[in-house]
Amino acid sequence: MKHARAVDAECVLTTRRRFLATLGAGAAVAVGGTWGMSVWSRDPAFAGLTLPAATYGIDTPNRTLVVIEMGGGNDGLNMVVPYADNRYHDLRGDLAISDPLPLDDHVGLHPALTNIAMKYSAGDVAIVEGVGYESPDLSHFSSMSTWWSGQQGSAGRTGWLGRYLDAAVGGDEPLAAVTIGPGPSPALLGERSFQVAIQDVSGLSPNVPPWIDDKVELMAMWTGFANPSLDAPDLAALVDVAIAGSAGAADTLQSILEGVGAQTDRAPGPTGLGEYLQLAARLITSSEQPRVIYVHGWGDFDTHQGQLNRQGAMMEQLDAAIGSFWETLEIAEAADRALIMTTSEFGRRAASNGSGTDHGTASCALLLGPAVVGGRHGEPPSLSRLDTRGTLVHTVDYRSIYTSVLDYWLGADATEVLGASVERIGLLRPEDPKVASPFVH
Amino acid sequence: MSISTRETTSHVFRRLGLGAFPDRVVASDGLEDAIAAALDLASPAAVPPELEPPSSMESARDREANRPILEFWFEQMLTSDRLIEERLIWFWHDHFATSILKVKVPYLMWLQHLTFRRLATGNFADLLHAIAIDPAMLMYLDGTQNRRGAVNENFGREVMELFTVGHGNFHEDDVIAASRAFTGWVVNIPDRRWTLPDRAPWSAVFVPFRHDNGPKTFHGTTGPIDTAGAIDVLLDHPATARSIASKLYTELVGAPPDEATRDSLAVDFRRDYEVMPLVESIVGHPDFTSATAIRSKVATPLERALGAVRGFGDKTDLAVRAAARYLDVVDYFPFRPPNVAGYPEGPRLLGPHQLIHGFDLAHVPRAPVPDLTPEALLNRLGVFDISESTFAVLENASTPETRFALAINSPEVMLT
Repeated sequence: MKHARAVDAECVLTTRRRFLATLGAGAAVAVGGTWGMSVWSRDPAFAGLTLPAATYGIDTPNRTLVVIEMGGGNDGLNMVVPYADNRYHDLRGDLAISDPLPLDDHVGLHPALTNIAMKYSAGDVAIVEGVGYESPDLSHFSSMSTWWSGQQGSAGRTGWLGRYLDAAVGGDEPLAAVTIGPGPSPALLGERSFQVAIQDVSGLSPNVPPWIDDKVELMAMWTGFANPSLDAPDLAALVDVAIAGSAGAADTLQSILEGVGAQTDRAPGPTGLGEYLQLAARLITSSEQPRVIYVHGWGDFDTHQGQLNRQGAMMEQLDAAIGSFWETLEIAEAADRALIMTTSEFGRRAASNGSGTDHGTASCALLLGPAVVGGRHGEPPSLSRLDTRGTLVHTVDYRSIYTSVLDYWLGADATEVLGASVERIGLLRPEDPKVASPFVH
Repeated sequence: MSISTRETTSHVFRRLGLGAFPDRVVASDGLEDAIAAALDLASPAAVPPELEPPSSMESARDREANRPILEFWFEQMLTSDRLIEERLIWFWHDHFATSILKVKVPYLMWLQHLTFRRLATGNFADLLHAIAIDPAMLMYLDGTQNRRGAVNENFGREVMELFTVGHGNFHEDDVIAASRAFTGWVVNIPDRRWTLPDRAPWSAVFVPFRHDNGPKTFHGTTGPIDTAGAIDVLLDHPATARSIASKLYTELVGAPPDEATRDSLAVDFRRDYEVMPLVESIVGHPDFTSATAIRSKVATPLERALGAVRGFGDKTDLAVRAAARYLDVVDYFPFRPPNVAGYPEGPRLLGPHQLIHGFDLAHVPRAPVPDLTPEALLNRLGVFDISESTFAVLENASTPETRFALAINSPEVMLT
């Protein structure tokens, strides 16, 4: 028995070496290589899935879109506060923010947003007010589906970012899209592209019983199933490619994320937005920079009651997380690699319900980063012309933001991705040649 | 490599049932016998538990209410002798995808599940009529919002695009006409101001003043068409039988039928819409047990989970809970399709997230894990023809535990 074990250990080492060899000197190369676009797209059985990757004419190197989803419906009026409007104080009463950080004579930011206010002064924040969608539905699910799919009234078979990834990446880059949060996001659901979902520094790691004492060894052995000499273009070959690609992605992620926990002085486990964005920063500064990072499942903005304290705590968390995110990127001289965008399925009702606010419609969104056109955009929703439900009437189609991001940041064809041509509102700097898009005429 | 009889027999059970059935493979006397066993509906159907209807919307949203429902369903999927019935129940759940994330009321998902259980092997026309006024579906595709003068097209569109005739076989005018025909239904939620005490709680109720009884032209038929009338028009449309026959063929065989096969299946199916004769015709087609059909589909997480529990679970609910956690993580959970188009399939199931978390299924057996040979491990997962490279990797595993974890994540179990 002892002898057998020794032999097995030798085999394990051999397998491990072979695994590392397939990863090559740089893990980055190996992921692309082992994932193998060749087999992936050669298979006639998947002829319908074989649109050429990167159909877009421009390269978008070193650019990541970071979406921060504020689930539950963030109250835009108490985030970007129309403090000079008496109707705001009438509608909100005790719930009105009394000490906003003024941006101009009309609006101010929630007092917890000090880092964001400084960035705003530096021209690195675009605030979009009055964001919503046509014929709004006050249900969380319906509104989220609308935001995720990016298609009005669509049942949302795919997400807007999933369709972008389908066209720009396909199945060829396993780390092109990373979701940070409780699981995959419908916004990144594509027909052929994948998203890797992580929750903490453990990255893409299985949850195995304690009797598996060495996950690394297990993963290394697992790649032994992927037979590189197998070249028949069939489903079995596709499985081999998928195993190699998945193991490679997991391994690469692990090496990228190593040390993030130590840096933030936190043990692995459920984490808040600050830790989520530190994971994002680490990915962005790595050699496997994702194209999209989607952060969700933190906070609960559904503030029917106790709004001032609850939203206040989340604003504090948001501000601190964004502050240290840029700090990390700046230290790495990588600030120009990121664009942050916040989303929320709806805003809250204009009037207070006493201790909170009920479901509403229009809200605000923030874009942050060196590429934005700093300042206020859109049109503040009117507080005197509410709809019959007492909710704000939106002034900006939420897809306008997607359009700017797709065209100018991701270098994609927004009209194609969204299936509609939506008005552009100048949120990103088109004059910057790095941000130019051939799809904007 | 030629395919063994045991592998072909296992294929029969994997496709007609949900997941692998190794014990049945060993017990079968040839392919004919296996097919007959998998299609056999002679044993009595399960008697579902009687669940108390919740007394209000607030209590109905209790997540705990999900537990007995899921326990019952998992139990049936794992142990029912009516293999084809469980396969078809999942097929219809996937086809008429409805998610609890929007419906929010487990009891309504339960009522819909009972409808699938009652009609899965019965008549498609009856099933379509039932689903058109199914309370969970009315909530999921906004049927309860669809009323005279305020048409909501959600169900009217999907019933054609996804449930019947399919893309390209209807116009926008048909969507509007159908949606008008479907107006007037609400769900009788208890403890509301307008609750109808003489009607069953949580049942679908037709409210005449919400219905648009004006004339409509729907697929060439004109008249004051109502819900049942519109469904009849769709059932009469030849494209409905074609798309259902084609989808079921693809589900069981692994690739779409050629045009002649599809049309011949559709013509027969459209006569009375009985499901089992359609199944029998598909299974009787030489393609079903051909070499190209075997392991030509990506196994779904559900099939992998059920196969692992059948192969290695003990009699407690430990194994089922481990399987359910895995299905939750990879987002392939009963009552929770990601959208109205149903669960993902094919290569989309081979993403890094889904594959890496396949190792979560190692929680299924109770420790200590049995020390088995590579062959015995894979046989218990319903795999009988094993590639040399898989055999070599399993042989080299340093411990029985590692060997087991690798076996349940071998390329063989990722295909079905």
